[in-house]
Amino acid sequence: MDLLDLRWDIIWNYREMFLRGIWITIVLTVSGYAGGIILGVLIGLGETSKKKWLYWPSKIYVDLFRGTPMLVQILIIHLAVIPTIFGQSYGFMVSGILALLLNSAAYNAEIIRAGIQSIDKGQMEAARSLGLTHSKAMRKVILPQAFRRMIPPLGNEFIALLKDSSLVTVIAASDILYAAKIVAGAYNRFWEPYLVAAVLYLILTYLVTKLVAYVERRFSNGYNPRRKREGRSLT
Amino acid sequence: MLKRKRLFSMMLPLLTASIILAACGTNSSTTTTTSTTDSTSNTEEVKKLVAGSESAFAPFNYMDDKGNVVGIDVDILNAMGEEVGFETEVRAVGWEPIFPQVKNGEIDLGASGITITDERKETFDFTEPYYEATQLLVVKEDSPITSAEDVKDKKISVQINSTGHMAAKDLVGETNPNILGYESVPIAIQEVLNGTTDAAIGDNAVVFEYIKNNPEAKLKTIEDDSFEKEYYGFMVKKGNEELLKLLNEGLQKIKENGKLAEITGQELE
Repeated sequence: MDLLDLRWDIIWNYREMFLRGIWITIVLTVSGYAGGIILGVLIGLGETSKKKWLYWPSKIYVDLFRGTPMLVQILIIHLAVIPTIFGQSYGFMVSGILALLLNSAAYNAEIIRAGIQSIDKGQMEAARSLGLTHSKAMRKVILPQAFRRMIPPLGNEFIALLKDSSLVTVIAASDILYAAKIVAGAYNRFWEPYLVAAVLYLILTYLVTKLVAYVERRFSNGYNPRRKREGRSLT
Repeated sequence: MLKRKRLFSMMLPLLTASIILAACGTNSSTTTTTSTTDSTSNTEEVKKLVAGSESAFAPFNYMDDKGNVVGIDVDILNAMGEEVGFETEVRAVGWEPIFPQVKNGEIDLGASGITITDERKETFDFTEPYYEATQLLVVKEDSPITSAEDVKDKKISVQINSTGHMAAKDLVGETNPNILGYESVPIAIQEVLNGTTDAAIGDNAVVFEYIKNNPEAKLKTIEDDSFEKEYYGFMVKKGNEELLKLLNEGLQKIKENGKLAEITGQELE
């Protein structure tokens, strides 16, 4: 049985690459996601806008980036777009973050659009009738409520992006999967490296799950900052 | 009793599904072996071999516009087959899957410009070599790099886990982050042009193929004696003596009648 004689020493020999891989994966995902949220908010608001010059570009952007595979986007951005525009490439970090950012922005935009549109129309009408401007009603009334509904899907998107970040190995970004591939190639053994990669991704996604659960609790309706232990009051 | 009956009826679809799946599993795994073994009952003694190739390694193996795997590897196998009587189906399986698939017996041999190395010999058996390859450095025309010594603190692009990758590891260290491993040699060379890396290391035949297809690319190649000569061979499962003997016999015949040299454009030994 192959399973019983796993050679963990081959992983240990390449621990440096795995550690670097974890770091690269985290940097890629966190930067891509942070950028994706900012761009996603702008595009999501654009999608809910009544102004055509805001609506259509946002809509087309989302369709374009949600409708094409991320692997293709990564290859196009790294091998075609960046070298063509700047005359040279700036390494896998720049291309990788840009690809993840642009892709997650499309998904985040949809989440944000759906979140805003899920808030009852009456809320906006009530706010406007109380004398708030449209943008002020948006900021003070609609978005705080919508945000609470967006947290779970945004958390999902974070986890999905973390896993999808493994696609950047095609542009030789030395993330967790890349380290696993190198070990697999060096020893022609496949259980150990890919199992380690899977477990590392699992640990990272588990941490994100915990983080999302915390944020969700923190922003829930019943959250009472005075009752630190439970985080929510029973009333 | 009733409870148990219900449980059984619940399990039944699951059971049938698993049986069907199991049947499928054995079916597909035996097809390749039967295709090679039942040839003994065949009057014409035509063996059918299934070879796996990366199919992105021009000129050795690549896909033509109809989706067939073509190239030097395929031509050699066909020439060998004509001499000693076997047919080959060359499948595109990707570079890394070749190794586990040969090991599992999913495919009979790997025919993908595979370099014969001592490391690989531990897990596989190889035929006699059919091609002599050497690694080349590829740099921009105006690059100051003139030898392998000059790339030690530079960024190097290679095809991941290829012999070029091994050569790069020997130069700068196993876990050096300056080595960037891509899916294929052409992408590794493209990265030199894009400025991501300073030099690429790849097999001579593939590098020349790239330059042939991109004559306007401002590149130059550097030969370096520190790169060892390598030999390509067909790779079979360890201990598959019968197949190994057949392939070697065929290879010997096309070496003698000059067909091999005709196909590769290279006189071996």
